[in-house]
Amino acid sequence: MSAFWTYEFLRYSLFTSMMIGVLAPVMGVFVVVRRMSLMADALSHITLTGIAFSLLIGRWHPPAAAWNPVYMGMVFAVGGSVLIDRLRRIFMHYKEAAITIILSGAIGVGVVFISLADGFNTDLFSYLFGSVSAVSRTDFFIILILSSVVLLLLVLFYKELFFLSFDEEQAVASGIPRQRIHALFIVMTALVIGLSMQIVGILLVSALMTLPVAAAMRFAGSFKQLFIYAAVIGEVCVLTGLFAAFYLDTAPGGTIVLLNTLVLVLSIAVSKAAGKEAV
Amino acid sequence: MSTEEIVAMDHVSFKYGRQNVLDDISLHVKKGSFLGLVGPNGSGKSTLIKLLLGLHKQQDGTIQLFGEDHRRFRGWSRVGFVSQKAASFNSGFPATVKEVVSMGLYGKKGLFRFLTKKDRQRVEEALEKVGMREYKNKTIGQLSGGQQQRVFIARALVSDPELLILDEPTVGVDAESVQNFYTLLKELNEQQGMTLILVTHDIGAMSSYVTDVACLNKCLHYHGGIVDYEENREELMNRMYGHEVNVIEHNHDHHHHSHDHDHDDLHGGRPG
Repeated sequence: MSAFWTYEFLRYSLFTSMMIGVLAPVMGVFVVVRRMSLMADALSHITLTGIAFSLLIGRWHPPAAAWNPVYMGMVFAVGGSVLIDRLRRIFMHYKEAAITIILSGAIGVGVVFISLADGFNTDLFSYLFGSVSAVSRTDFFIILILSSVVLLLLVLFYKELFFLSFDEEQAVASGIPRQRIHALFIVMTALVIGLSMQIVGILLVSALMTLPVAAAMRFAGSFKQLFIYAAVIGEVCVLTGLFAAFYLDTAPGGTIVLLNTLVLVLSIAVSKAAGKEAV
Repeated sequence: MSTEEIVAMDHVSFKYGRQNVLDDISLHVKKGSFLGLVGPNGSGKSTLIKLLLGLHKQQDGTIQLFGEDHRRFRGWSRVGFVSQKAASFNSGFPATVKEVVSMGLYGKKGLFRFLTKKDRQRVEEALEKVGMREYKNKTIGQLSGGQQQRVFIARALVSDPELLILDEPTVGVDAESVQNFYTLLKELNEQQGMTLILVTHDIGAMSSYVTDVACLNKCLHYHGGIVDYEENREELMNRMYGHEVNVIEHNHDHHHHSHDHDHDDLHGGRPG
């Protein structure tokens, strides 16, 4: 445990993980209840495309190699979310197709970028599966600021997001500006994905947003409780997973998600035993 | 009943693609009236309501709410709306009755404002009105259809609307609850002077509660007091339901057929 206090990079990883452990599930509550879990998955893959693009630029133009590719990833995720939204309007009755189109398109482009940028290397590997050593002091402060912004927005727009998630038609009828709130929501989701992937990696980031929420849903007696339970489950899994990974020498991202899955399975078993059926 | 007009629709027509759903409707609703809007399934009732609420983009004609062009109208909290049961809400949603009713205040509050103690008081009062106060901490999914519907009424009432619009609110609700429900509406109308528009295809059940009736089947066949309506009822029914047979014969396209149950995306109504 003392290693976390001795090495600065581990300390920043720990602080970052603690923030993400709360932020991802809290944002995930809205992602899940709006039935957009798959959207989160698509956005995380678009983030990969952005990262590959950033690595490619770094190769062509060496000074750019100093940029943290994650920020380019976030830019791509926001751009991709706008595209998904456009496509959802074109395929009005087949909305989920929009997600698949963008997801596979993004992977296609991403893989091409990766091959141009010299193929897979350890750098890319850490973006795919997460890496605790990837968090620098600057990263930490940027993550801190962005996380605070997202949390603040969540508090400010809680009413609107809640109403739109529960019953979109009624929300619009009562004068809530659906399109603007939705756009904001997507941008926030893209940001949270970009922030969370530093810890668990792109392939596992949507798990961090959905698994704690799914587990919390089995017990939550109100919408407020759902937030609290999801945040607690998320935080406990992230911290336990991080320490476990450190001592067992396993991949932190995978360990965290594994713990989340375990909690989810337990919560289903326990709530079933208590007589609760489907949600 | 005063002469002030809460709703004024003039020459309103609406098409889904090439399908004519509403044809030259002029409908005026005076303050303090309780209008029963009746018509067979697919007669355009829900479309009319959605136009009124700005959920569909207006095509032809003019619509005024509280004397203001409804495209410029911003006082949506003066209008309460209860849609068809289970129309668009997700019953597995982990929200309590209190949380659901609070939503009724969100539009009025506006952005960046939180609920105050007084607001929470109003939520309790609205629940009291519909007799659901004891269920306030239950989640919405734990309630029966009739109870859920009462919660949604409370949500519409919590912002003290001057106009309450109900779209087939009693579908799937048991008979006893329906009676209680109509009695509640009559009280709101008579004691608080609330203007009500009740959309239904069940003309019989509501006839002893409403003050006015409008019969719709693509065009407006009748609009007037309930007494006149009762006298001319038979002839009206023949006209309206005769018309419906034609509509069905010429309409095999499922999507266009189910306007009253059209809960798809809001067809380009109010922008964000």
